[in-house]
Amino acid sequence: MKITSGRTKAYRTVTLIVLIVLALLFLFPLYWILTGSVKTMAEINSATPRWFPQEFTLRNYAELFSRRSAPLLSLFGVEVGKVPGAIRWLLNTVFMAVMAMILTCITAAMAGYALAKKRFFGRTLLFSLIVAAMALPKQVILIPLIREISALGLYDNIWAVIFPTVGWPFGVFLMKQFSEGIPGEMLEAARIDGASELKTFTSVVVPLIKPGIGALAIFTFINSWNDYFMQLIMLTSSKNLTISLGIATMQAENSTDFGLIMAGAALAAVPIIVVFLIFQKYFTKGITMGAVKG
Amino acid sequence: MKKYLAILLALVLVIGLAACGGTTATTTTDQQTTTTTTNNEPATTNTEPAAEGEPAAATEITLWTYPIGNWGNEEAVKALTDAFTAETGIKVTVEYLTYADGDDKVNTAITAKAAPDLIMEGPERLVANWGANGYMVDISDLFDDTDKAELNAAALAACFTDAGAAYEYPLVMTAHCMAINWTAFVEAGADQYVDRDSHTWTTQQYLDACAALYAYYGDTFSGIYCSGQGGDQGTRALVNNLYGGTFTTADHSAYTWDDPLNVKALKTIYDLQGVEYDPSINGGEEIANFYNGIFKMAYCWNIAQQLNPNSAGTGAGLTATGDEIVFMAFPADGDPALQGGIWGFGIFDNGDAARIEAAKQFIKYFCDSEHTADAVRTANYFAARSAAEGTDLSAIWADNEIMNEYTKLMPYLGDYYQVTKGWAQARTAWWNMLQQVGASDGSEEAIAAAVASFAAEANAAAQG
Amino acid sequence: MSKALRRRENISGYLFLLPSLIFFLGFVVFPMILCVYTSFFDAKLSANVPDAFVGFQNYVTLWKDPVFLKALVNTFIIVLVSVPVVCVFSLWVASAIYKMKEGALSFFRIVFYLPVVTGSVAVTVVWKWMYNNYYGIFNYLLKGMGFIEKNINWLGDPKYALACIIIILLTTSVGQPIVLYVSALSNVDQSLVEAAEVDGATNLQVFWRIKWPQIMPTTLYILVITTINSFQCFALIQLLTSGGPNYATETVMYYIYYTAFKLNNFGYGNAMGVILAIFIAILSAIQFRLAREK
Repeated sequence: MKITSGRTKAYRTVTLIVLIVLALLFLFPLYWILTGSVKTMAEINSATPRWFPQEFTLRNYAELFSRRSAPLLSLFGVEVGKVPGAIRWLLNTVFMAVMAMILTCITAAMAGYALAKKRFFGRTLLFSLIVAAMALPKQVILIPLIREISALGLYDNIWAVIFPTVGWPFGVFLMKQFSEGIPGEMLEAARIDGASELKTFTSVVVPLIKPGIGALAIFTFINSWNDYFMQLIMLTSSKNLTISLGIATMQAENSTDFGLIMAGAALAAVPIIVVFLIFQKYFTKGITMGAVKG
Repeated sequence: MKKYLAILLALVLVIGLAACGGTTATTTTDQQTTTTTTNNEPATTNTEPAAEGEPAAATEITLWTYPIGNWGNEEAVKALTDAFTAETGIKVTVEYLTYADGDDKVNTAITAKAAPDLIMEGPERLVANWGANGYMVDISDLFDDTDKAELNAAALAACFTDAGAAYEYPLVMTAHCMAINWTAFVEAGADQYVDRDSHTWTTQQYLDACAALYAYYGDTFSGIYCSGQGGDQGTRALVNNLYGGTFTTADHSAYTWDDPLNVKALKTIYDLQGVEYDPSINGGEEIANFYNGIFKMAYCWNIAQQLNPNSAGTGAGLTATGDEIVFMAFPADGDPALQGGIWGFGIFDNGDAARIEAAKQFIKYFCDSEHTADAVRTANYFAARSAAEGTDLSAIWADNEIMNEYTKLMPYLGDYYQVTKGWAQARTAWWNMLQQVGASDGSEEAIAAAVASFAAEANAAAQG
Repeated sequence: MSKALRRRENISGYLFLLPSLIFFLGFVVFPMILCVYTSFFDAKLSANVPDAFVGFQNYVTLWKDPVFLKALVNTFIIVLVSVPVVCVFSLWVASAIYKMKEGALSFFRIVFYLPVVTGSVAVTVVWKWMYNNYYGIFNYLLKGMGFIEKNINWLGDPKYALACIIIILLTTSVGQPIVLYVSALSNVDQSLVEAAEVDGATNLQVFWRIKWPQIMPTTLYILVITTINSFQCFALIQLLTSGGPNYATETVMYYIYYTAFKLNNFGYGNAMGVILAIFIAILSAIQFRLAREK
């Protein structure tokens, strides 16, 4: 017995050390972004990298905020205010991710409920279609999608990125799995009480699948934020770019000015990380809630 | 907490919705073709109905420009377009492309029928690619006899197709060259192989210089960049010049880069110590590495780079650490053949006569008027014409020593073969070939095989 | 079920589905149909040459295109390596941390989740810098510790490039699975575990006999999301290697983009999309068959 516990203890210690090393490795890119963004050009291009910035500089941020000025808002053709492009990109990205999140949650919750609880014609076929399309990379429909978006007059518009994101069927799948758990008796009871379909949905179904909606919201928000490809092919004007696209463009322009690029990366990463840290509990709760039934 | 969150969310939504609602409105106007009369633009509503054959110019056009000297610099371009707007009332929205992803962007935009009105680049894209594929407006009516006399003959020829259509109006031109870090050369004792005065060297001198550099630094000092097509004129010129190989036939009907002389050059480069095929960088990154002192030579060079290395604004002819940069012709036995760069404007055919008319005014203003001198100076290259509407352009760089020195290279300007059919596919095949050569075992057979298969790919594209 | 009720079910089912269907059919299914249609044409980016019907010609050419075949192989290497590695790695991390105190637990959870929220483009650009041949941190470290003599051109060497891409993909993929496994493991019925321990079962036996079956649904869910995630590696390829060196990191997803916008060959690109879609549909079908059996 003693030997076992000794071995267990040693094993635990080794595990802890490995975990800490791994944690440092996972933290390192972020550390490198943040320190890189305040390093001078000479330090960045030195063959002997410095672990800490020796000379603290704000040049990279100054440079980042002096590029591509854009209007703060464009209200129906009238442009208000003037901000550095990077700020506008950040606003565009937030708008895009929030809209995609809201629309996806609403449509997917409704559809998932219908697929799980309604027995209508073509249900199985539709569900198979959804499952088959779930893992489909968007590159597959690259060309037809651009043509379609152009025909709709949405090209170079943030909605051109939002709509296809909402169309991606993973959300419906997730919500369907979640809605399976709604007890039929509750729906029956609501019906007997004379509640309309919509009323049943909002007052019975939604409260029950709330955790699932939370999970989907987080998932969609992050996915949409990170969906560089759709942004790449749909947006061109510098005032319509997202922050990811903005950094990528900067990378193409000044491919080795890593200080500037890191400043952009920091600007893109820090807000969402702060949001994540604040709502960390809800994040993990939401994610796990989504999977329990999944 | 929840309440504040809700308020915050609502705020973001409203702001965003408004912002993007606005975007929708502007994009729609951008895309409207023949009827530009929307509520947002009272100016257009007041425009007189277009007289037959003489359409009124639109009041808003878009220009996409590649980084051609300071035409890639927002501030410099804004000064130019503001002056244009003040005089003509035509507002110009400028987007800045890069060589790394610019072509993808333009092609995407063409697919989406949202190409810009004006584009600034060279004949290989404007004439041989988008022009040949029917997306550009024929602007041959902009060239009168005086213009044709004033314009450089080679530049003029490159902007016209065989059928006599013109898809580019040339503004500036130069010869592409390479550069060496003189300070490093002196340190390594490689300066003895370089004639600073004539800016030329033989193949043997180049090889000797490389040997001296490697003996001194013992590490990679030069990269044959090939992660993409950016700056490929440099790698092509190096390979062609070393042993006198060719790239296309003289009549630009087929690609001949499977020339054994090119295979020999690629093999020589493979075997050179300190010079590596590097598929992780492109031309722009090579320049940056050179500027930062990592590379001692750069193949992606020209006068604009010499005047403002790495566009960093830290002094003409100097690296980041203050080393002296000397521009050089590509090493060759006999006269080197330098790749030309010819840049100007072309007009995309978006089916809107008013916008085309405005774009033509733009071209006239910058390429053929008293304002041309400013446009040329901004580009940091030589004017493509001797004079424009009475303004002499031949002497605009007279007070610039570096420019004067650079004219020594101009006689070596070689054939402008970039207008060969299938150019877009051919240059793609070129950098993929360099990657394969670099990844091969370096045997002559392996290199010849790579060269042959990619040259065949390019020729398939040239056949149509 | 009465006829009237069935009709009501049908109609309400469709109505609930409608919002989602508009997006799904409009921005996924419809472009996919167009994609299949165009794949039978020799369609180029050219206003001069009309699209010509060529039947299955594009598909025939595909199977003779060594680059496409290489891309197909690479795509499956990425998926087949990253999916199991992500599952095993996150399960290991989760079992090492799930019994820790709340503070330590959430620390590790946050750290492993950080690359996900940092954003794919921001993560990619910092890795690009770390991999840099001339002044990247990896070459500096390895050289300093004497493991290598000459710099390794990580992204420029066909031997390493694909592995380098997969490593980045892994760091951005394990966040969610770890969170999921932690919650699944803490939900395992403790009485069963204790009973087994009393019977003298080893840790390994407890894991396989008791825990593994109980976390199976989570594992399946993780398999699905990781597979989806692995197909979304476009940004990594486009920003780091453009499919090079010598096609070592070419994936079908990138090759479609490349064919469309560098070679301007739309019909051919669409044919690739169709083939990829078929492969993915088969893969999804297998996964769901597995899921149903369990």
